[in-house]
Amino acid sequence: MGRPGFVLDVDERTPPLLMHEGEGFRLERLPMGSRVIYPPDSLPGIVNLEAAIRHALVHPHGSDPLQQLLRRGMRLTIVFDDLSLPLPPMRTPDVRQRVIEQVLEMAAAAGVDDVELIAANSLHRRMTPAELKRTVGERVFRAFHPGALRNHDAEDPDNLAHLGTTPHGEDVEINRRAAESDLVVYVNITLTAMNGGSKSVAVGLASYASLRHHHNVHTLRHSRSFNDPPNSAMHQSYDRMADLIGGHVPVFTIETTLNNSTFPTALRFLTRREWEWNLTDQAGYLAVKRSNDLATSKLRHRIWQSTEAPYGVTGVHAGAPSEVHPHTLAAVHRQQLTEVDGQADVAVFGLPYICPYNVNSIMNPILVMSLGLGYFFNLYRGKPIVRQGGVAIFYHPMPPEFHPVHHPSYIDFYELLAETTDPVMLETKYEKQFATDPWYIHLYRTSYAYHGVHPFYMWYWGAHAMQHLGDVIFVGGDRSTTARLGFRAASSLADALELASGTVGRDPQISYLHAPPMVLADVR
Amino acid sequence: MSSLREELRLLRHGRDWRGRARVPRSARRWALPDDGDGFPTEWARTAAAGVLRSALQRGVLKPVTWSQTRPVVHGREYLESVRGPAIFIANHSSHLDTPLILGALPPRITENLAVGAAADYFYDSRALAAVTTLLFNTFPVDRRAPRRSRSLAADLVDEGWSLLLYPEGGRSVEGLLTGFKLGAAQLCAKKRVPAVPIALRGTFAAMPRGRRWPLPGRPRVTVRIGRPLCIRPDEGVPDFRTRLVRAVATLWAEDDLGWYGALRAAADDSLALPSGVSGVLPTTVAGQPAEGRDMAPWRRIWEASRPPANDS
Repeated sequence: MGRPGFVLDVDERTPPLLMHEGEGFRLERLPMGSRVIYPPDSLPGIVNLEAAIRHALVHPHGSDPLQQLLRRGMRLTIVFDDLSLPLPPMRTPDVRQRVIEQVLEMAAAAGVDDVELIAANSLHRRMTPAELKRTVGERVFRAFHPGALRNHDAEDPDNLAHLGTTPHGEDVEINRRAAESDLVVYVNITLTAMNGGSKSVAVGLASYASLRHHHNVHTLRHSRSFNDPPNSAMHQSYDRMADLIGGHVPVFTIETTLNNSTFPTALRFLTRREWEWNLTDQAGYLAVKRSNDLATSKLRHRIWQSTEAPYGVTGVHAGAPSEVHPHTLAAVHRQQLTEVDGQADVAVFGLPYICPYNVNSIMNPILVMSLGLGYFFNLYRGKPIVRQGGVAIFYHPMPPEFHPVHHPSYIDFYELLAETTDPVMLETKYEKQFATDPWYIHLYRTSYAYHGVHPFYMWYWGAHAMQHLGDVIFVGGDRSTTARLGFRAASSLADALELASGTVGRDPQISYLHAPPMVLADVR
Repeated sequence: MSSLREELRLLRHGRDWRGRARVPRSARRWALPDDGDGFPTEWARTAAAGVLRSALQRGVLKPVTWSQTRPVVHGREYLESVRGPAIFIANHSSHLDTPLILGALPPRITENLAVGAAADYFYDSRALAAVTTLLFNTFPVDRRAPRRSRSLAADLVDEGWSLLLYPEGGRSVEGLLTGFKLGAAQLCAKKRVPAVPIALRGTFAAMPRGRRWPLPGRPRVTVRIGRPLCIRPDEGVPDFRTRLVRAVATLWAEDDLGWYGALRAAADDSLALPSGVSGVLPTTVAGQPAEGRDMAPWRRIWEASRPPANDS
């Protein structure tokens, strides 16, 4: 059994600590008395995954076994999480492939002919055929692509079905094929507590008309945090929508959870506690750090993007979504939850090279903001890691780089930030324009572009943090880029703390969230 | 981009010459067990290794130790009654302690003596483990989860080896006497072998933590060997441990109070005895018992680093 997560008090014995900073990392000496929130050790993965998947399908929660739900002549749609999960992409075979193969074995045995597979990419960019093949495996890809293995298209009016409105007046519009199926089987990877559950179908197969009800500034500001579903307005909206969807089409969900084996063996020092680094780890750190620093940015990018995580699967649960998800969340908490006493004046985060929206792509400044003020800031349960009015210090170079194919609307959104960085203003004035822009829609549907509205959602993702924090500083951040985003840049931690002293004084309590691997701070 | 020198400086910061960092205090509870499990030590207990070790100890180790310090050894006569395995227990505040004890004990005992060594320190690198094992006939002791190493210690006693153990669990940070762990007393009780208390004074002053060689000027050190103690039939292990602590504290106090004065202080129960990890000075120079934990940190180190009296 691995060790639980814990909070380190930095003392004179503490060696410099590892800090991610985009496509790089460094060692940083934190001031004495700083606290460092470490995730639990990586849990062992399930040894016989095939048997675990089969057991989950045969003994589901709140549902009949899957075999009993399958029958000849039925319309079966298998939906799976897209390439935004997990991070980094897991070493093949992907767990989705292994689940889908067993579902298809059962469907074949039951004589089901009408089967389609849909990637639940929502307003994300479409997955390329190679990415689809990597996710579902060669055998499934060959059998179903392209006709019956495809991406969800949230802008195809003929393939969307409006199922009604929730009691809160929220439109529920999802993929027609799924809505008109006799059974939807959803294959999920729950990497963080925000994933899975009601979110899967209600978001993954939805259209803009539906998503705008929860992907907005008001909801995000009342999702505290969005990694704590019971206290997340966003998840409450998902639940209402999922209830409505459940009244139209039966959903059998299979949720999987992963351990914290985030990096391959060559990078194992990234996942070990620094005082436990042996000479191999130190040599590895030095070799990788120097090579990484000396590499061209193109080569560096390629190497990081080709990194595959040797994840182990810690849990497979299947059945009715509402019955399954509590088990899934418990498994996520076992792997990621660390108790923290009290909030800090300053929170420090080292932002890695990857987020859900730059897989095989570029982490542009808006995605950096979303990763830092959205995902990392919200890695808490109870209270934020940093107090109201405190300061967040992020490590990321934040180069002003964009992927022209994947993120065209982000480039235009970045220009808007010169006018205002206020999420409400941006939402009110520009969201609809970007969301309905025919060119962005065309690129989303026919190319590999994120939807026109997607950069707005990323900005809203940080709305709660922006409202909560007194200052945001990026160590090593490009000065003009950080200024454009409304933040400040510092060349070192000492400089950042100097800048922060105007907000939190000269002797602040500092907490550093040591991630990745994933850690969810349970702040008491 | 930072320079290689800067990277190395950061990487080396807080690490010793073997690249090991000390476990931060708040992380101790979750420290990984490091029991030197993978390093075999049986070879060091063969006859050939014993011959080589005796030559090294008598030809190199003792002459070097005695040339760099001025050891005064008391109580060798108590060892005449020791026949067969015994557990030698001593206070520990310096890497000088083991060479001094090995030099102070008669060859008939050292030739049959194995030394418990911290697995997380001496068995972290194979080169260091090999040298230590050969020179001192050490075996790994896991200081945090001692079950496995305790069984190795028991096996060694079964094989007829005497053991030298430091029941404080490591070198004292401030040079004071700290509480004894139960392991040594338990071993004596389980194997029905005597414990021989030893007190070392002056080694903290001569070569404290962080130094790799004694201070210049041949600092004076004393090695006081006490009477062997056996657990009584009606005595519990914790009580026996207390008796061992008291025996070492009494020997420690001899430098300040003299032999009889220390005996009187022990009989009057006026020696300060340690409990747990906080250290105490069994006596002060003036003969007044003083709890180290009530003293300012600088005073604790000041007193502990005071050289033993010349006339003792």
